[in-house]
Amino acid sequence: MSLTATYKLSARLFWRDKGTLPASVITPLGLAIGMPTLMRNVTAGGVTAAAQMFVGTLALILSGTAFLNITVALTMRRDQLLLKRLRATRLTNRQILLGEVANTVTQTVILMIVSAVAVHLLADVPLPRNPVLFAVFAVAGSAVMATLGVAWTAAIPRGELAAPMTLPFFFLAGLASGAMGSIVDLLPPWLHPFLAALPTSAVVDAVRASYGPGTFGSDLAAAAVPALVLAAWAGVALLSIRRWFRWESRKS
Amino acid sequence: MAAIQVNHLSKSYGSFQAVDDISFEVEAGTVFALLGRNGAGKTTTIELLTGFQKPDSGSVRVLGLDPIRDRAQVRGNVGIMLQEAGFFPDLTAGQTVEIWRDFTPAARPASEALELAGLTAKAKTKVRQLSGGEKRRLDLALALLGRPDVLFLDEPTTGMDPEARRNIWEVVRDLAARSTTVLLTTHYLEEAQQLATNLAIMDRGQIVVGGDMAETLAARVGRVSFELPSVIQPGELPLPATMRGRLAMVQAADPDLAAQTLLGWASERGLRLRGLEVRTASLEDLFLELAQNGEMAQNGTTDRGDHP
Repeated sequence: MSLTATYKLSARLFWRDKGTLPASVITPLGLAIGMPTLMRNVTAGGVTAAAQMFVGTLALILSGTAFLNITVALTMRRDQLLLKRLRATRLTNRQILLGEVANTVTQTVILMIVSAVAVHLLADVPLPRNPVLFAVFAVAGSAVMATLGVAWTAAIPRGELAAPMTLPFFFLAGLASGAMGSIVDLLPPWLHPFLAALPTSAVVDAVRASYGPGTFGSDLAAAAVPALVLAAWAGVALLSIRRWFRWESRKS
Repeated sequence: MAAIQVNHLSKSYGSFQAVDDISFEVEAGTVFALLGRNGAGKTTTIELLTGFQKPDSGSVRVLGLDPIRDRAQVRGNVGIMLQEAGFFPDLTAGQTVEIWRDFTPAARPASEALELAGLTAKAKTKVRQLSGGEKRRLDLALALLGRPDVLFLDEPTTGMDPEARRNIWEVVRDLAARSTTVLLTTHYLEEAQQLATNLAIMDRGQIVVGGDMAETLAARVGRVSFELPSVIQPGELPLPATMRGRLAMVQAADPDLAAQTLLGWASERGLRLRGLEVRTASLEDLFLELAQNGEMAQNGTTDRGDHP
């Protein structure tokens, strides 16, 4: 009952927060739909290039809608002592945070599906061959990114620093996944393994497999490493929350 | 039975001792006032009692339960009006109460909670447009939603106009009459005197005076003050007086009797005692007296720092 209540509250606030919507919805969605559509029309590769880019832009939705949004929302709520007020009720700490994470996952997965359908209609990018693989990694990836966002709030001293301290990850995730084209190839090769180990890169790798040719067996094989990478990040996030998460801003 | 039991409770922030070995009990169905200056330790005490802070040592029991270990169970039976806590500014007062009902088992209807707090007319107003006093009332509405057995009110009427304050007093009295236990902190001494049957006055983390309100006040002296007639020297008065300019002040356990003595003495001499005031002991006198003592003590010791 109470988890549903925090989920509902979080969802209601998500769409009302006009300050965050440009970063959490409009920009990632615009890039995820706009850039592949542009690629479809301006490059010789057409559909292939558009599909390649679209899967990369999912990293922008994951880092914008899941990670950035929950970090900013929770930091602001912490500073405004709204988390404290929620804790004055019968809600447990877990219910409060799970409600936020569950809402963030819902919004992120919806945007990923909306953008997949939109680029299918606008840029002829085919729908995923294996929609289950797509869906599983959309949900798991959003959940890990949202949980990492909860953990990251501990490093942010004040609400107004939440966006600037989170945006670099948005660009890093986009860069690593190819959402910004082939700039990544210009980076020194020793950086590549680090970029590939990002949680957003893991999701993009698995989703790429869901679009490309393959069988059930090859999909499972392609999902194994991304699943392990996500599990490792989930562990880091949960341990960090347990160790460092703050419900109230630090008293000066 | 004691609804709240506090036993040798201490809490410090760094080198600042916010609460220093305090003990008290609040009987079920009574109103208990926690008084003190800013930084005296009142809010930290409430935060320890409500499980927002963990004590360094000592124990707290609310309805026999540990507010940290048994948090969910305690929260189900207490209402908390925090001194500082935010609201979602874009929700209306009514929407806020409705959302909080989802978090509260067996909650009152939203309209009843708003009415109790005197906010019915503001149900459709966004929280960002409410005044400070109206926000305090919304806070009270949320605290009352779950029909709590124990109510914690941290400065409940701060920022309210006198009429709203008296309405809130009525609500608190009514709740206490229906056997709700209330622990409140306040700066308004009249509020404590009006509502509470027991009190504790805190200073620098310790309880300096505590007990039954009526007994505590009865043990203090009242005073009579008047303008000293120009032809009289203070030494000629029938009772010892201290002077503040031309104002003579006589302290007495029974100020009525002292006033009669002074008036009788004056009429025998054909004098008038202008501006005569007779005051029984009030919480304010007690508070000021303690504050003065505290300052004297503080001047004699090293500064213990400010609240963090």
